[in-house]
Amino acid sequence: MFSKIEKNPFLTLAIIAGGFILFGYSTSLPKITDFMIFCIFVLGFDLLYGHMGQLSFGHMLYLGAGSYGTAIFAAFVTPDPFLGIAVGIFTAALLAFILGLIVVRTSGACFALLNLALNEVGAFMVLVPFPQWTGGEDGLSLFFKSYGFLNFANPTFLFFFVLGSLLAVSYLIMRFVRSPYGMFLKATKENEVRVRFLGYNTYIYKLITFVLSGSIAGFAGALNTINLSYTSPSLIDPTRNVEVIFAALMGGAGNVMGAIIGGTAFMTISNYLARYIIRWEMFLGVALLIFAFKFRKGIWGYLRKV
Amino acid sequence: MLQSILFGLTIGGILYIIAIGLSLTFGAMGIVNFAHGLIYAIGAYALYTGLSWLGLNFFLGALLAVAVSIPISYVIERFVIRKLYGQAIDYAIIATYAVLLIGVDAIKWIYGPNPLPIGDPIGESIAFLSLEMPVYRLIIIGISFLIFIGLSLFFKKTMVGKIVVAGLQDQEAVRSLGIKVEKYFAIVFILGSALAALGGVLYAPISTLDPYMGFHILILCFAVVIVGGMGNLRGTAIAAFALGMVMSITGRLWGPAADAMVYVVMAVVLIFRPIDV
Repeated sequence: MFSKIEKNPFLTLAIIAGGFILFGYSTSLPKITDFMIFCIFVLGFDLLYGHMGQLSFGHMLYLGAGSYGTAIFAAFVTPDPFLGIAVGIFTAALLAFILGLIVVRTSGACFALLNLALNEVGAFMVLVPFPQWTGGEDGLSLFFKSYGFLNFANPTFLFFFVLGSLLAVSYLIMRFVRSPYGMFLKATKENEVRVRFLGYNTYIYKLITFVLSGSIAGFAGALNTINLSYTSPSLIDPTRNVEVIFAALMGGAGNVMGAIIGGTAFMTISNYLARYIIRWEMFLGVALLIFAFKFRKGIWGYLRKV
Repeated sequence: MLQSILFGLTIGGILYIIAIGLSLTFGAMGIVNFAHGLIYAIGAYALYTGLSWLGLNFFLGALLAVAVSIPISYVIERFVIRKLYGQAIDYAIIATYAVLLIGVDAIKWIYGPNPLPIGDPIGESIAFLSLEMPVYRLIIIGISFLIFIGLSLFFKKTMVGKIVVAGLQDQEAVRSLGIKVEKYFAIVFILGSALAALGGVLYAPISTLDPYMGFHILILCFAVVIVGGMGNLRGTAIAAFALGMVMSITGRLWGPAADAMVYVVMAVVLIFRPIDV
C-alpha cells in the first residue's frame, strides 16, 4: 500500500497535507508550523544526503544563512515578509554557490568535515565580528509588515502558508527526482566515475544540487525567522546538525515521504519525549545507533516494503 | 610574543596527543571516530573524580583516567567500530556520533551540566627571559615530545608497531601474510584512546570541564588530522604544533577568532588537497 502512495505524486501531497492539517488542528497550529518548517529543512538536507549520497555535517549553515539573511534585511532595509523570504533564500543560495564551488569537489569524510568546518566559521561570523548587524549572542528581534489578510502574525495564515511551502518544495523535489536530472544524480550517487566516463560533467550537476539543497535550507531558515519574528545563533549552531541527520536517517533517506516522516518524528520526539524521559538525548543517541545499524532505510523504507 | 609561541606549543602538544589516535583510526580503518572526543572528555572527568571524590593526587588521578579509558574504548571498539569496517563512511560518522551523544548525556547525568574547574596541579611559574611561564605548560610540551619519540620508536622498532605501519600502507598485503590486521588495529584504537584520555587529563587544568568539551576538541583534532594527513604520524605532529601556533597567535591578535582561524586553515587545506575517503 505504501509503495503505491509513493508512485503517485498527488496522492503523496494529499496525504502530507491531510496529515499535517489533522495533526495541526488536533494539537496546536504554531507547534505544527514548527514541525513543518523543520521538515522543509530535512527535505533540503535529504536532497544532498539521500539523493546525492553525500553526508554534510554542516547544513545548519544554510539554515542560518537564510534565517539571518531575512532577519538582517527585515531589520535594516524593510520589514516586508515576502521580500525577506526571497532575500533569505538568495543569501543561502549565494553562499551555497560560492562555498559549493570548492566543497563539491570533495566527498565522503572530507565533505562531511569541510561542511562542519565552514559551519563553525559561519557561526563565528554571526557571533563575533558584526554584532551591530547580527545581534551577536542575543540575536535579532524583528517585526514584519502585514498586507490585509496576508498577515504572518496570524497563526492560521502562517500555518497554511508554511504548509503550502512544504507542499511546493515536496512537489519540486518529486518532479526533480523523476526528471533526467534526477536519474543522473542517482547514477552519480552509485558510481560517479562511470558517469564521468560517459562524458558527463558531474561537478556541475553536484554543484547545482548543492545550491538547490542550500536554498531549500535557506527557505526553511527564512520561514523560521518569520515564524518566530526572531533569529539567534542557535539557528546556525553546528552541534544541531545531528537533528537533521537523525531525521533524514530515521525517516528514510532519498525520498520525500521519508524526509517528512523523519522530520515529524524527530520534532515529536524532541518536543514530547523530554517530558517523559529526562535523558532523552541519550535515548536519541541509542536510537541513532539502532537506526544506523539495523534500519538503514528508515521508517519509510521499512513501510514501503509492506 | 615568546609567551604566545610557548602557549602555541602547549596547545599543539595537547592537540598532537589527542589527534594521533584519531589519525591512526582514520588512516587504518577509514573510520571517522567521533567517539574519540568522548574518551577525551572521560579522561578529564575521571581525573576530576579522582581529585575531588577520591582525593588522589594529580599523578594518580591521571593514571586512573587513562586506566578507565581502556575498558571503555575496548567496548566501543568491539561493539561499534568493528561493525563499521568497510561500510560507507556515513554510517561510521553517524554511529560514532551517536556514541558521543550517549556518552555526553551520561556525563551530564553523573556530573551535571555545569562547567567544573580543575586547578593547576603545579601552580608555579618559571621566570625566563623576562616572562613567566607556568611550569605546568612546559611539562605538557615535554610530555608531548616524549610521546612523539615514544610513538616513533614504537612504530619503528616493535613488531606490533611495524605491523600497524604496514597495515596503514596496504591492508590486504599484510593480511595475505597471515596476520590478523583487525586485531592490531584494535590495539591501535585502544592506544589512541588512552592517549586521548591523557590529553583530556593534561588539558583539564588549563580550561574548565564541561560535558560538551569533547565536541569542541574533536573538530580541532579533525583539523589537525586533515592538515597533517590521515595515518601520517609525523604529519600529525607537525600539523598539531602548527595549528597550535595558529590558535595561539590568532588568540593574541583577535581573541575569539582563535578557533575559527583553525577551521579556516582546515578549509584551505581541504581545498588544495582534498582527500577522498
